[in-house]
Amino acid sequence: MDLKKTAEGLHPLERKVLPVLESASEVSEICYATGLKEVEVMRALQWLQNKKIVALKTEIKEVITLDRNGRLYRERGLPERKFLEALQSKELPLEKLAEKTRLSREEVSAVLGLLRQKGAVLIIREKQKLVVKITDVGKKLLAEGLPEERFLNRDFPLIAAKLSPQEKDVLERLKKRKQIVSIQLKKERRAVLSELARQLIQYGVKDENIIDRITPEIIKGGRWKGKTFRRYDIKINVPSLYAGRLHNYRRYLDIVKQKFTALGFKEMTGPIVESDFWDMDALFMPQFHSARDIHQAYYVKEPKYAKIDSEIIKKVKASHENGFRTGSKGWRYSFDVQRTKRQLLRTQTTACSARMLASKELEIPGKYFAIARCFRYDVIDATHLPDFNQVEGIVVEEGLTLRHLFGLLKTFAVEFAETDKFKIVPGYFPFTEPSAELFIKHDQLGWLEIGGAGMFRPEVVVPLTGRNVSVLAWGLGLDRLAMIKLGIKDIRSMFTNDLSVLRNARMV
Amino acid sequence: MPTITFSRHDLCKLVGKKLNDEQLSSLLEKAKAEIAAVEGDEVIIKLNDTNLPCLWTVEGLAVYFRCLLGMEKGIPRLKLEKSNYTINVESSVKRVRPFIAAFIAKGKPVEEAFLKQLIQMQEKLCDNYGRKRSTASVGIYPSAKIHFPVTYTTADPRKTSFVPLEHRSEANLARILNEHPKGREYGRLLEGLSRYPILLSANREVLSFPPIINSAQFGKVSIGDTEMMVETTGTDERAVMLITNIFALALSRRGFKICPVRIKSGRSHQTPDLSTEKIRIDFNEVNKLLGLSLSPKEITSLLQKSMYGVKGNTVETPWFRDDVMHAVDVAEDIAIAYDYARITGANTKSHGPGALLSITQFCDKIRIIATGFGFEELFLPVLSSKTTLYDRMNIKDFDTVEISEYVSETYSCVRTWLLPGLVETLSRNRHVDYPQKIFEQGKVTVRKGDDTMDYDRIALASAHYRADFTEMKQCLDFIARLCGFGYELVEEEHDSFIPGRTGRIVVKGVKVGYIGDIHPKVLNNWGIETPVAAMELNLTELLSALGG
Repeated sequence: MDLKKTAEGLHPLERKVLPVLESASEVSEICYATGLKEVEVMRALQWLQNKKIVALKTEIKEVITLDRNGRLYRERGLPERKFLEALQSKELPLEKLAEKTRLSREEVSAVLGLLRQKGAVLIIREKQKLVVKITDVGKKLLAEGLPEERFLNRDFPLIAAKLSPQEKDVLERLKKRKQIVSIQLKKERRAVLSELARQLIQYGVKDENIIDRITPEIIKGGRWKGKTFRRYDIKINVPSLYAGRLHNYRRYLDIVKQKFTALGFKEMTGPIVESDFWDMDALFMPQFHSARDIHQAYYVKEPKYAKIDSEIIKKVKASHENGFRTGSKGWRYSFDVQRTKRQLLRTQTTACSARMLASKELEIPGKYFAIARCFRYDVIDATHLPDFNQVEGIVVEEGLTLRHLFGLLKTFAVEFAETDKFKIVPGYFPFTEPSAELFIKHDQLGWLEIGGAGMFRPEVVVPLTGRNVSVLAWGLGLDRLAMIKLGIKDIRSMFTNDLSVLRNARMV
Repeated sequence: MPTITFSRHDLCKLVGKKLNDEQLSSLLEKAKAEIAAVEGDEVIIKLNDTNLPCLWTVEGLAVYFRCLLGMEKGIPRLKLEKSNYTINVESSVKRVRPFIAAFIAKGKPVEEAFLKQLIQMQEKLCDNYGRKRSTASVGIYPSAKIHFPVTYTTADPRKTSFVPLEHRSEANLARILNEHPKGREYGRLLEGLSRYPILLSANREVLSFPPIINSAQFGKVSIGDTEMMVETTGTDERAVMLITNIFALALSRRGFKICPVRIKSGRSHQTPDLSTEKIRIDFNEVNKLLGLSLSPKEITSLLQKSMYGVKGNTVETPWFRDDVMHAVDVAEDIAIAYDYARITGANTKSHGPGALLSITQFCDKIRIIATGFGFEELFLPVLSSKTTLYDRMNIKDFDTVEISEYVSETYSCVRTWLLPGLVETLSRNRHVDYPQKIFEQGKVTVRKGDDTMDYDRIALASAHYRADFTEMKQCLDFIARLCGFGYELVEEEHDSFIPGRTGRIVVKGVKVGYIGDIHPKVLNNWGIETPVAAMELNLTELLSALGG
């Protein structure tokens, strides 16, 4: 590896930490040597490890501290010493020892045991009494000090692994006694230098000539001249950014809208709460049609009935009953004028087309489209939502033919499904004749229906526009097209309110 | 849309030709049928044309395919036998279920596979075309046992009894309605009537109780029967006649002889009625509609492939079709017979530039501004509930459009404002990284007296440790600056927000929205433990206040 490149890529924290590693390997030592905080040292070590400059090793250590009695004995002397001192001048009977040494009975018997083990005292029987007597060993101990005393006087905390074999014996003995020492296990991280680290230290990692963060001062004064910029590890992972963004599906709808305007379509609209009239009757769907059962649409409580111009109702009523002035036989039933005013949530965007045809603003020739929220009575589950989006539209022009409709569908296949593998087959809609359906060939899913279209029946056009002009009408399945475009297999991921999904959703 | 199942082998036998996969799917496309599933020899299709019940039977499909393939030409003929069957119709049925039609099919034993098709035919035609038996329903009987003339009349529900199908003992009509599964399913069709329709034999035996159930003794066709009566009753005469004709077509194609029945009510007529309707077709107009230049000879041939009779410009519609209302219906059949795949596309004229509505453009601009200050866009359902919109937001309900028969309370009304959807979203994302800054631009609907009004609105909410009013006001300032309008904040309490930390946004004297810190009570209602600041703007009113 290029030593220069590596050296220039070191972060200021790494620069501070690396040189001290020769003398200090434990985190606490490094902190002390560099004056950095533990988190800073840890960060630097982590980065150095990532670059394979150091290896981080974790060791588990026994850390010894003094407990309550340990601290007490260190301050006031061990009970053994008091015991021996009391015996120094003369031997004492056993029962008087507690009084003379000011130790509890328990302590007395414990200490007596310990000192006997060391051979520092003797117990002898004198006139039916037990008497304790100091030995020469005891006197020597008293003069030179006990090993336990020397241990207690060391600087705590101590690391068990660093003790001498003699000290380890002492520790073992002290551990058996009450609350003298306490031992805790501690994780200690230690840095081990690699060969690269030694080379780097030798190469020199002091930062006088390396610029880390570029500050206004550095730029203004030209102080960067002659210096080196710290090299970044550009491959490093950075934290995710969740910034502002458009919703992937709405963005798709935006693009659809742009495409339609580019194709010369003008946007039209209509209300969410519609009447049976505009939603279905104006579209020549007979009132007895099975698609119009109460359970197929969301009828609203209030306002129950819409206000609709009676003249236009009259014409649509005639169209249903006898074909109006179209030469059609009509559906031949008695049209219910009250029912036509019943309000529901729009079931199809075609309602917008019907309103446009009846509008004073209709331009002939003209092209119109609408993207609208529609509602169908459906079981709501993981894959069915109560509302969905439809795009529909019309082309109004004298003398249009079925060939023009097919030409339009071809444009849609190319523009919206981005394929020229499509087919147009016969379809059925109550408001169009002839009718057609548009399928595209999907690589994995086979033939997919993406839209329906047709030429509005005269029974629709004449009552609404007052003339027999040809109208091409079409609708495209936006959800399906968006799923193809976005590569989504599960419809749920498009309409979720789970931010962890939305934040990562691909955008068109 | 009805779904039917048939055997491919059976269909090919009826067509009289083996059909490969490609031929079959092409023919089905012309019949506006989609293949839903194929399991060995069994094919399940969905029929899209709800107006063409003659294609809802495998026999009907076979006839159409034979014509399309040139194996038959024009209107399929049906020879009616000479017969002397009569059904007398009493006037009391007029108020109940006025129409009846029937015929007898004989001369061949009923086979198992055919019986299955027959039952499917009966179900599909009664459920879909007969609108769940209300406009028309069909009864089929082994007619050898029946003594004619039959009488179609009404009876007292408590005084007339018989043993219905799938039942062991006799029961009166009222009990059948209450207890028999079919009675419970279709009983609503007779609601409020004091007398129920029945069909009686010349011996006054009950043959059936239309539209509910047949008699177990007289109304059950079995394998091996060589004579059947097919009878249709209903409230819609056209549907009754049409269904009868479709059955007659199907049975005749199965090799049965069709013997008509004379129906004697005030007038006397014979069913099936094979008379046809005539419609004048201007071949020029057909070519103009389709964008083709077909010769009269070609059009004539295409019409004959579509089962029409043709004499010059006069087209005769087949006796089992009732859907031809206008020349455009015939024109479509010509195009289908010609084949859609052969019709090339043409371009429409350019009508000048397209355009988005000004409100759409305004909304899109504000959406882009919102993403600019770091907000993530949502796209939520328009349907909501009063619990979400009001109770949990700590406010009283207002001007809501409610659904009269909803499936789930969660989606029981149209939203009147957007903020509840955002707060609900925050509530569902408590485990996701903060800050959470979200917005939605969309439509809401409110009642205005006898009318309703849609508004385009935008709502923004910011949830994080330090979210507060200041941040929201900065966003509002930013929107105002970029759109070039001034606003005033008027102190006015709103119970979803903390008092003293909320206000109305007023532009040119019009209240166009509110802004503030969401009240902890609301946050508690939603289980949110992070501060939330929010605002909502009515973009429709803002645009109009700005003179857009």
